[in-house]
Amino acid sequence: MTPNVLIVDDSLTVRMDLADAFEAAGFHSLPCATATQARAALAANVVSLAILDVLLPDADGVELMMELRAHPAMASVPIVMLSTEAEIKHRIRGLQTGADDYVGKPYETSYVVSRARELLRDHQRLPTQTATVLVIDDSRTFCEQLRRAFEQAGYGVMTASSGEQGLRMASSHRPMAIVVDGVMPGIDGATVIRTIRLDAALRGTPCVLLTASDDREAELRALDAGADAFVRKEQDLQVVLARLAAVLRSAKTERPDADTLLGPKRVLAVDDSATYVNELAAALRGDGYDVIIAQSGEEAIEMLAVQQVDCVLLDLVMPGLGGKETCRRIKTSPVVRDIPLIMVTAVEDRAAMIEGLGIGADDFISKSSEFEVLKARVRAQIRRKQFEDEHRRIREELLRSELDAAEARAARQVAEAKAALTDELERKNKELEAFSYSVSHDLRAPLRSIDGFSQAVLEDHFENLDEMGRDYLQRVRAAAQRMGQLIDDLLLLSRVSRAGLHRRPVNISNIARTVVDELRRKDPQRSIEFVLQEDVIINADEGLLRVVFDNILENAWKFTRKTPTPHIEFGVIERDAHTVLFVRDNGAGFNMAYANKLFGPFQRLHSEDDFPGTGIGLATVHRIVDRHGGRVWAEGEVGRGATVFFTIPFETGDPK
Amino acid sequence: MIRSGNLLLVEDNKDDVELTLRAFAKTEFARKIAVARDGEEALEYLFATGPYVGRDPTILPAVVLLDLKLPKVDGLEVLRRIRASPRVRRIPIIILTSSNEEQDLVASYDLGANSFVRKPVDFVDFVQAARLLGLYWLVTNEPPPRSARP
Repeated sequence: MTPNVLIVDDSLTVRMDLADAFEAAGFHSLPCATATQARAALAANVVSLAILDVLLPDADGVELMMELRAHPAMASVPIVMLSTEAEIKHRIRGLQTGADDYVGKPYETSYVVSRARELLRDHQRLPTQTATVLVIDDSRTFCEQLRRAFEQAGYGVMTASSGEQGLRMASSHRPMAIVVDGVMPGIDGATVIRTIRLDAALRGTPCVLLTASDDREAELRALDAGADAFVRKEQDLQVVLARLAAVLRSAKTERPDADTLLGPKRVLAVDDSATYVNELAAALRGDGYDVIIAQSGEEAIEMLAVQQVDCVLLDLVMPGLGGKETCRRIKTSPVVRDIPLIMVTAVEDRAAMIEGLGIGADDFISKSSEFEVLKARVRAQIRRKQFEDEHRRIREELLRSELDAAEARAARQVAEAKAALTDELERKNKELEAFSYSVSHDLRAPLRSIDGFSQAVLEDHFENLDEMGRDYLQRVRAAAQRMGQLIDDLLLLSRVSRAGLHRRPVNISNIARTVVDELRRKDPQRSIEFVLQEDVIINADEGLLRVVFDNILENAWKFTRKTPTPHIEFGVIERDAHTVLFVRDNGAGFNMAYANKLFGPFQRLHSEDDFPGTGIGLATVHRIVDRHGGRVWAEGEVGRGATVFFTIPFETGDPK
Repeated sequence: MIRSGNLLLVEDNKDDVELTLRAFAKTEFARKIAVARDGEEALEYLFATGPYVGRDPTILPAVVLLDLKLPKVDGLEVLRRIRASPRVRRIPIIILTSSNEEQDLVASYDLGANSFVRKPVDFVDFVQAARLLGLYWLVTNEPPPRSARP
């Protein structure tokens, strides 16, 4: 299909000239003299490319462009602006608001066609997916404003209210582009961009910096930090949109460093003398260069912030910033300092020449020289730059492949070390499992014999034993049974450490009720008041939580044995913004001086005679809570009761 | 030599045999227990092979009490072979062992055990368990019919 090119210019000559050139280049042209005609042509045709004049009889070209950009079908179509305006302001405005290129009149027809072709080729490489944009701004209002504007334009939007949050979101969500406020508390915009540029996975993400100031220094600093573009906050949201579209386009197309030597070149000529610079521009245009004219150092720097050029011709003596200072600023900015810069001066001053070259100018030429000499110098500088670029590209590629190899090596080493550790851990776990297994089988069998035969002697030889003999045999049995209990408790402790953690929402209240019901069944003669908070739901491993409540409630049950009106309560409180579960009793309690000993294995605060137990239960509780990433502690008072508190945070922890 | 009985105990530990018999002796199922000292003997008895070649293979115990840790052929293997044999596969099998390790429970039930009982250390509890087992498996439970075809 022949691509349509929309040509909007009020000059018939320009329209015919360009239409012929594009037709010859294989396009179908849609020439329009006014914005109204252009709108009609757009409504009736699918356009692949647009050439727009800045000045139209019925509209401002830049405004027409923004209108086109807002049109879904035209949002990403390449647009080249044409202008007779010598004013650099228009060019900057056009590029900032979304033009892909800007060609000054008088133009070289072949230049326009070849640039248009290049843009179209780049454009066709674009994937068509929706881009997600991350907006980082501490002003919620502005964030929301941008979100609305971006979403209306068809982007996906995420917002972050601080640099830190923004960086986290960038690394987890990999947005297609980032729009970040320059001034924020904490990490500021330039730092965010610098950090992004240092991250291997994110460094290719286009970044647009929002600045509140119109300070050119700030803009250069932003570019130094690696911003692809900046937009002033007071500018229209449309401008932000247009810049974003532009950086997304250029990021995706990423033209190779080494342009062909034959391709069109762009020269920025900076001189306060209109006569000289126009003459110079005319001479260079005759050779097929696109010449941008700036009349001051300030304009030049602003221009460089929005458009790359291939060579800068800089007048030494200018009002305002002046040639030397302009040169110094350009040469200290990493983004633009590699652009060949030729100082042009009216005075044949050896000292000025040396100083100019000292601050970074690549060449120095007198205004009195013939244009042919100047053109030769420009050609030479551009060629030199291209060779340097090519060399740098090769060096960088080498470096990158070395880096990649080193990274791969490191990753492999880490993976191997990890695998070895995992193997070791698995082996240890297997050993431990085998150990527990044989403990479980082999240690209990002799205990059964000890208990069973002691009982047999008691039964069969009761008459032959005196009181003491019977008592001793009972003690043998009690000890065997206690050891059986110890083995069981230790095995459980070991098991809860090894078992997988399967979290899901669990009704803790039901678990607590079941445990108390069982305690009541086993011990029906005791009457205990049990108060339960209903429907406490926690994301946890149900089996392990059951073990927790078995232990804590059994303790409460045990330690209220000597209390006249025993009372046990399960519930939830909020403490320091955490949900804390607790089991409270009014039993024997404990001395807070020993509170830190409660959760270690074999720690007991009561005599076996008063309250029997193995001292492993709370260690098991501690291990289970720990595996859920939570905390457990106890508060108590001797004779007044004890409360066990624990937290089960949502989906964190389990370092295992 | 195993004499025929209503209950086959497969157990290698002499103490455990003695205590199990003593526990059952305290119940009404006292004289109905045969004992195999390892897995191999249990299989020879059930399949009427080896020393039990002349035994009437259609006479089977009403229930098998099977330990897991056994010399020669272990308990899980005995269970597997019983369940693989068309003739004896329907016998109810109770695992009677020391541990309640999850892996044992899972393997036993997966291979078709009917019940899993952990021998308690407290002998009084063990007698109680023996009584309940006898009551349930020899009285309450309806055994597979002898006349059923394999």
